[in-house]
Amino acid sequence: MIEKLTPSRVIFNVINYGFMILLCIVCIAPVWHILMASFSDPRTMMATPGLFRWIVGKPTTEGYRIVLSNPSILTGYRNTIIYVVSATLLGVVLVTMGGFALSRNTRLRKPLTVMLVITMMFSGGLIPSYIVNMNLGLLGNPLALIIPGCINGFYIIIMKNAFEQISPSFEESAKLDGAGPLTILLRIHLPLVKATVAVIVMFLVVQNWNSWFPASIYLTRRRDLWPLQLFMREILVQNDTKMISAAEAASSASLVNNLVKHCVTVVGTLPILCVYPFAQKYFVKGVTLGGVKE
Amino acid sequence: MSKAVTQEIPKKQMHSGKSWKRDFRLNWGIYLIYLPVFVYLIIFNYLPMFGIVMAFQDFKPARGFLGSEWVGFANFIEFFTRSEFSQVLRNTLVISVLGLSVGMVSAILFTLLLNEIKFPWFKKPVQTISYMPYFISSVVVAGMIINFTSSNGIVTNFLVDVFGIKRESLLTNPSYFWWINLFSGLWQGLGYSSIIYISALGNVSQELLEAAAIDGANRLRRTWHITLPAIRPTIATMLILNIGSLLNVGSDKILLIYNPTIYSTADVISTHVTRMGLERMQYGYSSAVGLFNSVVGTILLIGSNYLSRKLADTAIF
Repeated sequence: MIEKLTPSRVIFNVINYGFMILLCIVCIAPVWHILMASFSDPRTMMATPGLFRWIVGKPTTEGYRIVLSNPSILTGYRNTIIYVVSATLLGVVLVTMGGFALSRNTRLRKPLTVMLVITMMFSGGLIPSYIVNMNLGLLGNPLALIIPGCINGFYIIIMKNAFEQISPSFEESAKLDGAGPLTILLRIHLPLVKATVAVIVMFLVVQNWNSWFPASIYLTRRRDLWPLQLFMREILVQNDTKMISAAEAASSASLVNNLVKHCVTVVGTLPILCVYPFAQKYFVKGVTLGGVKE
Repeated sequence: MSKAVTQEIPKKQMHSGKSWKRDFRLNWGIYLIYLPVFVYLIIFNYLPMFGIVMAFQDFKPARGFLGSEWVGFANFIEFFTRSEFSQVLRNTLVISVLGLSVGMVSAILFTLLLNEIKFPWFKKPVQTISYMPYFISSVVVAGMIINFTSSNGIVTNFLVDVFGIKRESLLTNPSYFWWINLFSGLWQGLGYSSIIYISALGNVSQELLEAAAIDGANRLRRTWHITLPAIRPTIATMLILNIGSLLNVGSDKILLIYNPTIYSTADVISTHVTRMGLERMQYGYSSAVGLFNSVVGTILLIGSNYLSRKLADTAIF
């Protein structure tokens, strides 16, 4: 539609574009501040109020040196990668299998779908789940971060809808050639729903990378199994930098701590921020798909 | 082929025992594929649902769900008569109503304003940047909140300079918590929650908009009479879902940033459950609180769905 540019329209556009730019600044500024602070001189940093637009004082990578040589951070990183990869793999396999089975024309299709939808509306709640997992021996067990929560009814429904879009003629001709359901799923249907599988993978990766609560209740005492987020919680939230500054002696501990906090934030957030611009279209798709049905 | 055959079978015969046998013979492979998911749902979703019986027990982990002593509604009565009850309920309602109303209105407003921007090279980056905070973990967001609202944090400095408030760590003053929680939630969720409305804008009829423009309707009128009604079903759906989860204020962020000095405004049902259940091991009591939460949530969901069906002709079930 071609728009006449009346004076009021021009004023509106100026305000609207200005507002959008302001919004972007508000979104980025805190993150940018931390990124800049992580390279700043800790002493100058303490004396500089306000948001940092650029590195203050003499640029330094000292904070990163401390963080990246810290065994706890490295353990956390390794554990997080293990959890993210295994939970995502397990999740996407189960979700695909579940979605495929529910999209087939079987007699149990309806009841099984209802059984799934019920889990999306009701849950036992935190404490009963905790007790069940405890009885399964998941307390202090790394599987606690991999198995519970790797499936979600919402993802299975998205997957089921994607499989239902595929024309039944594919399946019928494969059956005539003697293909079993697993062959049909793997060889014919899976390649056709790649985009939806990517949506599920993205959701699972981000969810598992950022997750901290299950680890805090199931792996409370197993520091060796902690994901990165729990170490970050200790440093950023509980303000406990003992594990970092022990190595750095007492010289200027509190100054270094402040620097280290910023570096830890960057180290823990950077991977996800690098991935999300590419992942966002899948998220948009996932949210839209989820909204269409049910 | 099987599908075609099944469809030809008359309905009566479909429900006889024979066709069950036939179904299993034809589809056992598909059921086998579903089996892992089925087992998963039974263990991790349905067992905890049955575990809700512990809300009526003096639950002892060693005795299990079946062996623990039954106490009737004692756990619920304890919750309702506790001094924290009204405080926790009030905080939950205030925090979620604030978050729900401000969150939805700003997401819709953002969507409509973004819709007025015609240049994709400007619009796309704005969208991408607005989603960014959603991808930052709650631990990092909590760390930022704690840092920025500390006694010499950025936000504190700003508020001291502009509004002349007392210099202190803002997270130790109960009167600030609701606002800190609201604005940090808005920062994280605005862009992401607008996705659903932006996709609903695809339903807006371009011909209708053009016709209205020719008839002399200005921007505001076209937005009000055409664009908004077109995304109304989406708005209604989101409203129903949000009202249904009114009591489920996410404990994720609050657990990280609250502290005993601000329990009076920051303690909500879910944090109360976590603290009583996992720190003080009052399993029966906390599941009763959790059950209360889900029952009220279900009532709200059904109620708002009913109202929406009556008033806006939109319902999710």
